[in-house]
Amino acid sequence: MTGASAFQKDYKTIIPVEALARFVERLGEQYTLTGPVGGGLTARFEDVSSFSQMDLDYQSTMLPPGKKYLFEPVQEVLSFDISEGRFLEDHKDPQMRKRALIGLHPCDVNAILYLDKVFLGQYTDPFYRIRRENIFTIALNCKSVTDLCFCHLVGAGPYLKARSGYDILLTELRGLLTDSGVDSGGSGADMDGGEKKFLLELASEKARDLFHALSPDKGKPPEEKDLAKIKEMEAALLKTFKKNLDMEAVQNALLARPDHHALKETADSRCLSCSNCVMVCPTCFCHDVRDETDLALSRVKKIRRWDACQDISFARVHGGNFRAQRYARLRQFVFHKLDYDTQFGMKATVGCGRCIRWCPTGIDLTEIAKAMME
Amino acid sequence: MSFYKKFRLHKKDVHSPKEKNPEKKRVGFFKFSCCTGCGFELAYFQRSLKETLESFDFTFFRLASSAGSPEGPFDLALVEGAVTEPFQIVEIKKIRAASKVLYAVGSCAIVGGIPAIKALAPEMEVERAAYRERLYEMSSTRPHVIGDYVKVDGCIRGCPPGERDLEEALASVLIGKEPEFIEYSVCMECKMAGNACVLLEDGLPCMGPVTNAGCGALCPAHHRACYSCFGLMGQANVPALKGKFRKLGFTEEDIEKRFFTLFGALGETGQ
Repeated sequence: MTGASAFQKDYKTIIPVEALARFVERLGEQYTLTGPVGGGLTARFEDVSSFSQMDLDYQSTMLPPGKKYLFEPVQEVLSFDISEGRFLEDHKDPQMRKRALIGLHPCDVNAILYLDKVFLGQYTDPFYRIRRENIFTIALNCKSVTDLCFCHLVGAGPYLKARSGYDILLTELRGLLTDSGVDSGGSGADMDGGEKKFLLELASEKARDLFHALSPDKGKPPEEKDLAKIKEMEAALLKTFKKNLDMEAVQNALLARPDHHALKETADSRCLSCSNCVMVCPTCFCHDVRDETDLALSRVKKIRRWDACQDISFARVHGGNFRAQRYARLRQFVFHKLDYDTQFGMKATVGCGRCIRWCPTGIDLTEIAKAMME
Repeated sequence: MSFYKKFRLHKKDVHSPKEKNPEKKRVGFFKFSCCTGCGFELAYFQRSLKETLESFDFTFFRLASSAGSPEGPFDLALVEGAVTEPFQIVEIKKIRAASKVLYAVGSCAIVGGIPAIKALAPEMEVERAAYRERLYEMSSTRPHVIGDYVKVDGCIRGCPPGERDLEEALASVLIGKEPEFIEYSVCMECKMAGNACVLLEDGLPCMGPVTNAGCGALCPAHHRACYSCFGLMGQANVPALKGKFRKLGFTEEDIEKRFFTLFGALGETGQ
């Protein structure tokens, strides 16, 4: 897991959707299957009992799947019996059932790679680690781009470039194909007449072992023209992005303008300090740990809960609040996503656009950055 | 397990039957103008009722017992309801003077709640509508939150409050620490629960983005717009949400009603 393996991504095969479905359902004998249901921009990752329950044409989800399953909103990290002076449960070695996350878009895979740096970096978070080890990740390259996507600006999509840290990468082949010869021009429509097929790439040893053991149909190796077509599909998709921002120029430039009027004006007129942006962000990892004591004063639980830099209590310390002003809190989010690359060696945004889509007033961090660069 | 028994861990020479726990905190629960829902919530404090009674002595709680005196002294005073009559002004000051710690409980005491609706019309007009021929026997005042008259040590928000904040308040008094009350928005609870957004997906005038959490996003979880029964959170940006409602096509009258006549008419000016 998490890039430790030296496994070479050399196995590529083209399999029909029925074969993929059979493989996934065999996988379901060992893993809880979790995938996108509901479709469109408001799909949700949920446990499913069959391949057909999933909608792999989905565009986005509100809660990011990586964060939802690897870094849960509320986690009891410790419980202690005061009267008996002992820990009640051994949280250091938490158990976790195996889960296959199916159909993650490249942005969400990259977000998991970012969370790996946070929770498996200098300090290992045991809760994250156990979940990460027990997750089998099947990524899916995007078929379409939404108006708010900007993954292309940070190399996080629409096709996944990372070579490790996940297990399988799927690319739906549209309108080509070797068998039927039908070419509908990569418009996003499923093939008429021809059957739906996927390019399947194995990205981990675990995936190789499981695929060879479980898949009844191994498919056949892609031909040169298939790979060329996929490159064409990617190039065509890249042309459909609406958002643009010079990320090179943003680097270190925002920090130089901490009190820019664009921040203040946006904060005053539109920022609700409601923290929706943080909640739906796939890379926001801040959390608060609080003690909750029962009224018999016999048990204490330490509870870890998602926290948000937009909340007034986030930066309150002894003696004051170092982000008491609304624009200072908004600035923290915008700068952290776009400018603090040095923290973990990669951009903290994956360009999924969720913070814009789920902001009640539609605040757009790329627009703020643009205004600040002018 | 009582506080006293826990304490014995460290001082083995101390012994006394649990029933006569000298460490029991004296609590007074007081009601001003409200529906008594917060009192009921405490009386039905399901998860923790037994432990509460082991650690606290409710020396005055009219809903639970007609015995007891409101005179104090109290380690903790819990006060529900808004101030709407002159005699209540005297009472709340007496309660404050007799209490070490005073927490306002529920929206009426904290932001005005339902009683605050009358702040929208001249007092006499309100009285005339309610009491008609007995008008001149009335001596009601403008509605006020508890914090307008006395210092409040903490606010247990809600309509009625959730168990989490009630428990945090009581446990803090036992431990002697600052309570950490929830201050973030309903949206945070709503997102963590994975609910669909009724504001953005359904276009409902949801008050979640400006409302103090603690309810677990109860209304949005049932596809209803939040109506801010917990009151505005401290960092609420009211003009920004009004602007959003305008864009959704709501009239100024709709919007004013949303903010001022359902709950917390004193929310922006009170406290």
